Amino acid sequence: MKTRKVLFIIKNQLFKNRAMKINCFSVFAKNRLISIYTLLGLFLALQACEDEITPTLDPLEPLVTIDAWLHSKSGEQVIYIQETTSYFDQSEPPARSGAEIVVSDDLGNTFEFNETEAGKYVWGDESSFSFVNTNRIYELEINLDGDVYSAVSEANRSPTVDSIVVEKREEDLGQPAGYYAQFYARDFTGPGDTYWIRSYKNGEYLGKPSEINLAYDAAFSAGGNFDGFTFISPIREGINPNDEDENEEALPPFEPGDVVRVEIWSITNGAFQFLADVADLTNREGGTQALFQSPIFNTKTNILLNGQTTDKVVGYFNTSMVNSLEKTVEEQE
Amino acid sequence: MIKSNSLLRILFLAFLFTIPFSNLFAQSDFTISGYIKDQASGETLIGAAVYIEELETGTVSNVYGFYSISMPAGDYTVSYRYVGYETITEKISLDSNIKKDIELNEENEELEEVTITAEAEDANVSSVEMSVNKLDIKTIQQIPSLLGEADIIRSIQLLPGVSTVGEGASGFNVRGGGVGQNLVLLDEAPVYNSSHLLGFFSVFNPDAVKDVKLLKGGIPAQYGGRLSSILDVRMKEGNIKKFSASGGVGTIFSRLTLEGPIVKEKGSFVVAGRRSYADVLAAPFIANTSFSDSKLYFYDLTLKGNYKINDKNRIFLSGYLGRDVFKFDGDQGFSWGNTTTTFRWNHLFNDRLFSNLTVFFSDYDYEIKFGEDEDVFEWNSRILNYSVKPEFTYYLNPKNELTFGGQAILYDFEPATTQAISAGEISSITLDNKYALESAIYLANQQTISEKISLQYGLRFSMFNYMGPGSAYEYFDDVTPGLRRGVASEEVFDRWETIETYTNFEPRFSMKYQLDATSSIKASYNRTAQYIHLVSNTTASNPLDVWTPSTNNIRPMQADQIALGYFKNLKENAYEASVEVYYKDIQNIVDYIDGADLLINRFLEGDLLAGEGRAFGAEFYLKKNTGKFTGWLSYTLARSERLVNGINNNEWYPNRFDQLHNLSLVGFYKLNNRWTFSMNFAYNSGTPATFPNSRLEVQGYIVPHSNSNKRNNVRIPDYHRLDFSATLYPKKKENRKNDSYWVFSLYNVYNRRNPFSIYFTQPDVPRDNNLTQAFQVAIFGSIIPAVSYNFKF
Repeated sequence: MKTRKVLFIIKNQLFKNRAMKINCFSVFAKNRLISIYTLLGLFLALQACEDEITPTLDPLEPLVTIDAWLHSKSGEQVIYIQETTSYFDQSEPPARSGAEIVVSDDLGNTFEFNETEAGKYVWGDESSFSFVNTNRIYELEINLDGDVYSAVSEANRSPTVDSIVVEKREEDLGQPAGYYAQFYARDFTGPGDTYWIRSYKNGEYLGKPSEINLAYDAAFSAGGNFDGFTFISPIREGINPNDEDENEEALPPFEPGDVVRVEIWSITNGAFQFLADVADLTNREGGTQALFQSPIFNTKTNILLNGQTTDKVVGYFNTSMVNSLEKTVEEQE
Repeated sequence: MIKSNSLLRILFLAFLFTIPFSNLFAQSDFTISGYIKDQASGETLIGAAVYIEELETGTVSNVYGFYSISMPAGDYTVSYRYVGYETITEKISLDSNIKKDIELNEENEELEEVTITAEAEDANVSSVEMSVNKLDIKTIQQIPSLLGEADIIRSIQLLPGVSTVGEGASGFNVRGGGVGQNLVLLDEAPVYNSSHLLGFFSVFNPDAVKDVKLLKGGIPAQYGGRLSSILDVRMKEGNIKKFSASGGVGTIFSRLTLEGPIVKEKGSFVVAGRRSYADVLAAPFIANTSFSDSKLYFYDLTLKGNYKINDKNRIFLSGYLGRDVFKFDGDQGFSWGNTTTTFRWNHLFNDRLFSNLTVFFSDYDYEIKFGEDEDVFEWNSRILNYSVKPEFTYYLNPKNELTFGGQAILYDFEPATTQAISAGEISSITLDNKYALESAIYLANQQTISEKISLQYGLRFSMFNYMGPGSAYEYFDDVTPGLRRGVASEEVFDRWETIETYTNFEPRFSMKYQLDATSSIKASYNRTAQYIHLVSNTTASNPLDVWTPSTNNIRPMQADQIALGYFKNLKENAYEASVEVYYKDIQNIVDYIDGADLLINRFLEGDLLAGEGRAFGAEFYLKKNTGKFTGWLSYTLARSERLVNGINNNEWYPNRFDQLHNLSLVGFYKLNNRWTFSMNFAYNSGTPATFPNSRLEVQGYIVPHSNSNKRNNVRIPDYHRLDFSATLYPKKKENRKNDSYWVFSLYNVYNRRNPFSIYFTQPDVPRDNNLTQAFQVAIFGSIIPAVSYNFKF
């Protein structure tokens, strides 16, 4: 397990997902929660504060980004090819057009992707059934400006979502009163299954870095020894949105009438590490958490350039089997 | 670096021959020996000087207050000196062995000045010791401190060669070494986590501490087990003459210390406790909320007793118990703490042969518990040590003081004992305990060659056995450096079965050359070996950090350090000045792959990398010891780097705690008998941070990337801070000492938001943004005032 992850859970338990971005001038004012912890002696921690800065960074050398996550859901399969941009550049990354993309499976089938918008390469349409099947191995091959980018991925098994349970809870330790969801599903027997649990609220993907929900067997990491278990509670509850109002007060995750959707994507072990790194690199917090950060690093791609491992391309190719379940939140007493 | 075995052998032989064996059994000498104590409390004095005027030589009392000096028969003038105390000078006719216990009186209060050294006035120049800093506990109590809590670790960070990765970070860095390379000893027992509240306060109760000594280099052979420094903290023995109580009420802690005789003049005790009390104050405010079961407190308790059985035997029993507790709900929460117990037996074989036998037990543990009923995660981790350490000092003659002894430490590492329940199903993810035996023998001599030259030299031989029961793994080594290595094979070992053995010869050498009465040059070389490793990849060390032994995959670390210094005292020792330069080379430093899993990981070793380190620097120190105005100026120019295959494109890069400039100015001004003012100014250059330069978008997440792939490639802005404090003693009453006082302090006077780190993130709000931001974090964002009241009666 990662130190950060454990400290993050401890912090979340203490502050129930509250963001810790404390404005330097209103430390003592905010709200009752803070005043209570102030009294409890944590005011030291809360005096930590932060300022947004825009430091000068090294000049950019653009790299090709390949974002290829294929899945067993029906509809379009999309691969994006873009370039990296300067870190503080908020504009759309430049597209890389003109690529020829073919995905083939180990039965000899090939699937061609067509560029529908600059840098967006699509196979199929809304009504297509996916070509991604359990235990098949897929190879991605991209010809772009004379270079060949290639990668291999297996589509592993994915467990079914048995149920989604919604519970109405009272306010607890700063976690607001409201409706909380969790899903139940069981990891397959046999160690080394890795999953990406993607959740949606009313059709909107919960895509905040803090909402990335990954499982190695039924827990967080390879050493977890939770093979074949029901997913552990932090993963089951990891499908709730992490939202706050403008005063940085946590909002109740769901209300009656909301639709909760959970998808379990099987991912390769390499993709698990890649997404774990993405979560580590994007979900960073200040305050006293800054004491316990590890340095940033570069993600590791599985894409080869002309048959060689390289640091000249970034991104990932993964194929997932997906199982899902939806539930509408009902009013409870 | 000395690598060849033959060279070592020569060194060892040379060492043996240097000791003048012919003198070992010299009969014509007589010995004067005894203990040096404080007259008022009976507390033994460490490092008090015994000076024989006719011979222009002398000795100092050891950590138990014992001294011994042997000389030919004759008449001598012997003076006993200790800073802040009245010197006693006696005429002695030495025609037989003499036992002489001395009690020194504290200097008259009217003359009392703030004293910031605890030794002979010219020890800075005359002693062979170099790279050593001592802080008197009274000085520590006067340094302006965070929230008014006098703090040993934060105080030593104001000394040359000592730094920290940032305020609020746990531990300290000495001469470019990591936090885990310091041996922190409390009455000879190691303390594994020296911090309360993640790192804001250290675990030592200043009321119970007698002496603090930091060894940064020229480390004598009796110390071993860590590469970079020894922080030797000695507890008080307790007033042997009368009962007394002292304590205080501060912003964070309330403190109480009781001490007194067990049997008058024979034995004494001291009990000192501290506890944070914010939770007590908060209780009524949270009584009817969901926080009512929350707890957040930390405490420490120090106990010590000693008893003098007879003139030749004295025993000590001391213990420390400290814990931090964060409970958010009933028994869910997080806690950690240290426990140490030390038994010591001082035995005098004869007037010249002093021995101490230490037996200690040390335990550091943490535990975490989340969840209830069907879903529980419970985890604890600990490191247990059992040790025996005999030590002998033979006071051969005024020119030679021989020390020899050994140590054996049995380690029991329990990386993770866990219980995990998911939806009612129980899993065990408990990792095997790891066992190891570290042992060492050493021999050292402190020798005065001539009026000008003195030496301290020794050899330590250390050995480490990594033992079963347990599994040892072999890992694939054909993996690109920097990536996780998979397990190639596993081998199971029985109890006590050796899995791997390492040995090291650790030569130690220091010399002093006296240039004139007020100046000297000193040089030292030492090799140190460290067999246990603090596994931490976060900016600051934290309570979850796991210690791991050297194994078949992790080699012991080894450091070689050379240091050279010039020492000068001015104006009759009113000023001490020194300049030291050092170079340190470290082998087998532990590092981590990107995205390493350090906790509850059976295959941790597959995520570790080994590298080498180097550190060098110059330290400048100027101290004013006497007068109304005292204090010191410390400046360090340093560099600390490492080279690890698989990180930073296999090039050298600075350690996270590397600081080019580190300056501290500490001043005390005694206005009158009621007011003393203190100030502290610190300036450090920015520590390194790792910056990306670009970003990529994957599945809607904006991920930082660095084209150069460099670690610690940018410096965060410089750090500087000014603190003030004022100490107020009450009006003096007739026949009564000024025993209580108030301390008013201001930390971070000019309200600077000193950067601790800079981080890059994709913000959480609004949802679906493509923003990327950088933030500069200050751990203390404002001025922090505090008041504390301290008493003694």
